[in-house]
Amino acid sequence: MIKVRIPTPLRPMTGGKNEVEIAGNSVAEIIDNLSSAHPGIKERICDEQGEVRRFINIYVNEEDIRFLTGKETPLKDGDEMSIIPAIAGGK
Amino acid sequence: MLHIPSGILQDMIAHARELAPHECCGILSGKNQTVTEAYRITNILANMAEDDLSRFDGAKLSDLQRLSPEERADIAFQMDAREMAMAQRDIRSKDLELLGFYHSHTSSPARPSQTDITIAMEFEDYRKKLNLPEPLHLIVSLEHADRPDIRAYRIQDSHPTEIPIQQTSD
Repeated sequence: MIKVRIPTPLRPMTGGKNEVEIAGNSVAEIIDNLSSAHPGIKERICDEQGEVRRFINIYVNEEDIRFLTGKETPLKDGDEMSIIPAIAGGK
Repeated sequence: MLHIPSGILQDMIAHARELAPHECCGILSGKNQTVTEAYRITNILANMAEDDLSRFDGAKLSDLQRLSPEERADIAFQMDAREMAMAQRDIRSKDLELLGFYHSHTSSPARPSQTDITIAMEFEDYRKKLNLPEPLHLIVSLEHADRPDIRAYRIQDSHPTEIPIQQTSD
């Protein structure tokens, strides 16, 4: 199982949980399985083309998946995946 | 105290002026509380899908929904995640530290807004898990066009504390 960290704006979709355990062998599988457990969450993470949205970074352990093999990045038991919106703000 | 070379301070002001009335945003890196590099990051807010606005909290979200996409970037910013990741990677490869995030307030004072504080606290939660150093939050105010003001804050427990900026020669 992979521990997936859920960012604040998506927690309403996981019943308020900031971490969930999901089975899967790659980032793409985790996103799909996460969405089966919490319907609609994939659409919040990925655009219509299935690409990670422009304001979201996904980390496996402490590395951004863009510098690994993207959504195909393999995962093994004990890995942690973090879904993190980039910094924002405003007056 | 945060030390920033005058060239970088001038560049942050130039960045804010170039993008006004949109807010600009960027990242500062360096070592030992001395900034050595600034990264301009694209504010993608005007190009964000309607649904994506829900990454903002309630009050800000309603304000954003009332505006056209172009106008939204006047009252908020969202960093491009890819550029942010590239900057963080560059910082790491140079053995520097992420020292701060900056953005502009084009018509209000250089003080963190409630949205700035909420999102800074969100980031606090993530960055501890990712082993990133605690960043300062800098705001470039263009409220008085002829007297731009840059201030830095440490935001802990939803409470901003101003950290003095010392301008250094380039």
